[in-house]
Amino acid sequence: MAFREGFVQADGFRIRYMEGGEGPPLVHLHGAGGLRLNPAHDLLSRQFRVIAFEMPGFGTEENQRTRTMPELAATMAAAAAGLGLPRFNLMGTSFGGKVALWLAVLRPELVRALVLEAPAAIRPAGLQPPSGSPEEIARRIYAHPERMPPGQPVDPAVAARMMALTKRLRGPDRDAELERRLGGLTIPVLAVFGTRDGLIPPELGRLYKELIPDAHLVFVYDAGHAIGAERPEAFVEVVGDFLEREDAFVISRAKTVILP
Amino acid sequence: MKVSYFETGRYLAPEAMPGVWPMPSGAYDTKAGAEIYRGMVERITFAETLGFDWVSLSEHHYSPRILTPSPPMAAAYLAARVHKIKIALLGPIVSHSNPVRLAEELAMLDTMADGRLIVGLLRGTTNEALTYDLNPQESRERTDEGMELILKAWTEPQPFGWQGRHFKYRTVSVWPRPLQQPHPPTFALGTSREAGEFAARNRIGLGVSYGPFEVMGKATGYFRDQCARFGWQPTADQIIFRANIVLAETDAEAQRAMTAYPARAPFAMGAAVATALLELDSRNIAGEARPASINRALPINFVGGPDTVVEQIRQCRELTGAGIIDLGFNTPGSSDPARLMEALDLFGRKVLPRIRDI
Repeated sequence: MAFREGFVQADGFRIRYMEGGEGPPLVHLHGAGGLRLNPAHDLLSRQFRVIAFEMPGFGTEENQRTRTMPELAATMAAAAAGLGLPRFNLMGTSFGGKVALWLAVLRPELVRALVLEAPAAIRPAGLQPPSGSPEEIARRIYAHPERMPPGQPVDPAVAARMMALTKRLRGPDRDAELERRLGGLTIPVLAVFGTRDGLIPPELGRLYKELIPDAHLVFVYDAGHAIGAERPEAFVEVVGDFLEREDAFVISRAKTVILP
Repeated sequence: MKVSYFETGRYLAPEAMPGVWPMPSGAYDTKAGAEIYRGMVERITFAETLGFDWVSLSEHHYSPRILTPSPPMAAAYLAARVHKIKIALLGPIVSHSNPVRLAEELAMLDTMADGRLIVGLLRGTTNEALTYDLNPQESRERTDEGMELILKAWTEPQPFGWQGRHFKYRTVSVWPRPLQQPHPPTFALGTSREAGEFAARNRIGLGVSYGPFEVMGKATGYFRDQCARFGWQPTADQIIFRANIVLAETDAEAQRAMTAYPARAPFAMGAAVATALLELDSRNIAGEARPASINRALPINFVGGPDTVVEQIRQCRELTGAGIIDLGFNTPGSSDPARLMEALDLFGRKVLPRIRDI
C-alpha cells in the first residue's frame, strides 16, 4: 500500500502527514523518535484511511512555540479538522499516546475510539527517551533487534532537537491533571503493551484500566516497545478488530471447524 | 539437600503387555489400575512419614509407565490425603495445554493444598507431540509462550487480552489466584538454552533431569550465567535435579539389580515414527545440539549402597548446584509395590538423614 505525503496548516504550523488506504479515518500520532512508517501502517491501511501526522518540531522544521502537551494536542486536533475529519479513530504511540490522551480529554467529541500503543503517559521514574546510534535505539525499542531491518541513521542535530522537544513537552512521569481527567473519558480505549517492552514496563498497562472507565488491556507476546514494527500482524489484528467492533471485540469470531 | 519422591503411578500389569507406545487402551485392567491409585496414597503417606520434602508428579500419556496423564487431578487427590509434604507438579506439559486453564487449575490446587504446591512447567518428551496432535517443530515456542502466559495470568490483577503467536485470548482474569503470592515456587523444566534463558528472565527456578552430573552442570551453569545477565542469582532451592536411583543395602547388591535394567524403553514407538520425530524435534543442552531421547531407557544417576549414594548426591550438588533431588526409585523390579516401599524405607533410614547438610 502506497502512502502519499501531504501537508496541512494548523495553529500556524505546516504539518506534514503520510496518508494511505480507504475506510474510516484513523489518525496516528508517533512516538518521540518521529514519524516512521512501519508494516503496521500498511496493514492498517487495508481497513482504514490512515493519516500518520508528523507533529510540529519532529521533522525538518523547529518548534519553539508549543510549551505543553495540551497545547500540542490542541494543535493536532486542529490539524485533523484541517483535513476535514469531524470524528476519527485515534492511535498514539509512546509519547504520542500521551498526546492522544490529552486530545481525547480536551476534545472528546472528535474521537470515536482510542488506541494506545505502549503509551508513555505513565512512565517509570527517571525514564530517558532512547538515543544514540540506530543500533543502540534498536536495542531499547525491540525485543529482538536482530530480527529487525537496520534503522535509518538520523541527523544528529535533528535527533538532538527531537530529544529536547520531547523532554520539554512530555510532562511529569505521573501527570495528576491528566490522570484525573481520564476518569471522565467515555470513549472505548485499548491499551496495548509488548510483553518485552524494555522502556515502559508492561505492568503499567493495568493503570490505564484502573483510570479509564472503558479501557481494555492487551499484551502482545514477545514484542518490545515498538509493537507495530516488531509484531505487526498481532498488533493490527487486535487494533483493527477493536476499532471495528469496539467493546464487542472481546467476542471471538474465529471459526474452529477443521474438517466440515 | 532437599529430597522429592517422584510418584510415577506405575501400572503393575497382571498379564504381559506388548512393548509399544501407544499402549493399546484395551490392554488396561481396571482393577489393576484402581490398585495403583490406592497405592499412590500409601506411598506418599510413607514418604511424608520418612521426611521427604516433596512428592512429585509428572505427565505422560497413553502408557502404563505413568498413570497420571492429568497431574493436577492426581495432585488434588493426593493433596487432601497428606498434610505436610509439598506437592510438586513436574510437570504439566505446557506445549499441548491451554495455558489459561493450567493457570486456573494450578491456582486452585495451591489454594486447596494450603500453599503446598510447587510447579514445574514442561515442554514434554518427544512422543507426547503425538498425544494431542502437536507439531513437534512448534513445541518449544508453544512452551515458552504458554509459560509466560501462565505467569502473567497469575500476576496480572486486571483482565487482559493476549496476542501471542500460538495462543490468543481477548479476556483473561483467573479466579482463584494462587495462595502463595505472587505465585507458587515455579521452575522451567529442561536443559535447553531456551529453558535456561526463560527461567532467568522470569526469575524462576530450573529443573534438569537424568543426564550425567557434568552435563547437567552445563545446563545449570548456563542458567546461572543468564541469571547474572538479568541481575540475580538462583538459590540452591531453585535448581532441581530429577534422577533415577537404585539403592540397596550394599553396592554389590545394587550392581546386581542393575543387570536387570533394560537398555531400551519398555514401551517403544515404531521405528519409522521415531526416526521422523527425531528429525523434527530439535533439542539442546545449554545451546549444544543433542538428539531427542526416543525409545531409550532413562539412565540411573544414583546407584549403590547408602554410603555410595550419599557421596553421589554430594557430587551432584557440587557439579549441578541443585538443592533438590527428585528421585524415581526405579529399582529393577520396583514396580512391585512392596519392593518400592523397601527402597523408600532404606533411603529414609540410611540416606536422608545424612544428606541434609549437603
